[in-house]
Amino acid sequence: MAGETSARLSAPVYFISVALLTLAGFGAAMLARPAFGHAVLQWAGLEPVPRALPASFYAVRVEPLLKDRCIGCHGESRQKAGLRLDSFAEVMLGSRHGAVVRPGDARHSELFTRISLPPSDDKAMPPSGKTPLTDDEVTVIRLWIANGASASLPAGAVKGAPKLVKPVVIPELDPARAARQRAPLAAAVQQVQRRLPGVVGYESRGSAELEVDASLMGLRFGDAELAMLAPLAAHIVRANFSDTAITDASASTLAAMTGLERLRLADTRISDNTIRALAPLKKLRSLTATGTKVTDESLASLRQKGVAIYADPDVH
Amino acid sequence: MSIETAHDKKVLVWDLPVRLFHWCVVALVFTSWLSADQGWMTIHLASGLTLLALLLFRLGWGLFGSTTARFSDFLHPPRRVLGYLKSLKDGDRLLYAGHNPAGGLMVMAMILVLLAQALTGLFANDGLHFNGPLALLLPSETSDSITSIHRLIFDAILVLTWCHIVAVGFYLLVKRDNLVLPMLTGRKPHSHMPQGVNLTFTRLTIALLLFFLSAGIATWILFQGASLP
Repeated sequence: MAGETSARLSAPVYFISVALLTLAGFGAAMLARPAFGHAVLQWAGLEPVPRALPASFYAVRVEPLLKDRCIGCHGESRQKAGLRLDSFAEVMLGSRHGAVVRPGDARHSELFTRISLPPSDDKAMPPSGKTPLTDDEVTVIRLWIANGASASLPAGAVKGAPKLVKPVVIPELDPARAARQRAPLAAAVQQVQRRLPGVVGYESRGSAELEVDASLMGLRFGDAELAMLAPLAAHIVRANFSDTAITDASASTLAAMTGLERLRLADTRISDNTIRALAPLKKLRSLTATGTKVTDESLASLRQKGVAIYADPDVH
Repeated sequence: MSIETAHDKKVLVWDLPVRLFHWCVVALVFTSWLSADQGWMTIHLASGLTLLALLLFRLGWGLFGSTTARFSDFLHPPRRVLGYLKSLKDGDRLLYAGHNPAGGLMVMAMILVLLAQALTGLFANDGLHFNGPLALLLPSETSDSITSIHRLIFDAILVLTWCHIVAVGFYLLVKRDNLVLPMLTGRKPHSHMPQGVNLTFTRLTIALLLFFLSAGIATWILFQGASLP
């Protein structure tokens, strides 16, 4: 057994001391790093997790900006410098170096100073190689902090805020969905495409709606050819029969194109009878009838419904 | 404060490579933490690669080094570890020249965790301007995941380090056995040695060869990284 020459601590006393020391160290770390301290208290349920109100300036203006520009490196999956910016609570917790927001003092808030630095500065955020924030975006952050970095201040209460620009959302192309929508008509479309090459096509890659352009066939496209489109009529949204040989005999087929939005009938032999037959087309927004025998009398009712009419001047 | 009796004969148990390894690891772990915390990533890279070289050396020294440095000397089956811990509790502690079974377990755990930390660091990034030497070999998402693991392992290092310090304090204050001084001088009191133990010490030239080999591997990794596009 080991030689012992002086007084010793008992094991329980030692381990109690260690436990106390550990707790003291933990407490010191919480004080030295408030972000860590608040995170621990919030995790333990001893401190409420602050949340921004849905209509607040933070929720409407600041949060979307942070999510768009910052959380790639300061979000759930990555926390550069220990900083998360994906919720109001995380923003206020700050980084491992301390708070990044000083309410009311934008100039001394790191969140603002970093995004205000010139892109060439090593400390600039976003880092070099990434698109800097716009002046308006920087202003939004500055105003939010200057107004107290509030979680509840209404979006409209911040004076001088740049106008909110809503981004245009372009839906994702879903080829599978388009294929499903096209399936019921696919055979009929293929049949018409074989018989009238180049006349019928889909409106876009993601659409099952159809576009018809018979103008290049010229006089070889007449009422009989237009009748071939009858099975597809309800799915045609744009049609160009200009310079073709169609007549009023096609009026009923045209009237069956209930989804039609734009129709071109320039330089054809149609008359007021065809124009009158178009009256039930509720989606029609534009009609071209130059070089035809149509009169203003028949066009008037369509014009009243808001359809843009393009006809010869003397018709008006 | 001298804990051992003044006339207790001292016996060499820790060779120079083990002692240098121990204190260099202390310094490098601290440097790695500080440099990462402050964003001094070049220093972090240097300390991490040096740590990797030392760990590789220690693995070799655990196979070819002096008696008390060898894994075969301080890695014991769980039954013996439990038996040792029981002897501690009962007050008739079993004596070992080098690491005791519990200490050996701690050493191995520390080596493995530090090795995992050094290896994950090779593939980690700071998301800004710095990539670990081999990070560009992987897709950025994988590098990011490894970076998260790198961060988690640091917490494990903190826990192990605290356990290590608490254990050393336990021996010092409860068992009146100073483990720190021998790790500095290499010698411990004869009265803390088991009976009839015969220690052999491997030549320093072998240690130097092993270290150069390990440092060569770390340097090679660094150059591999430098050659990536």
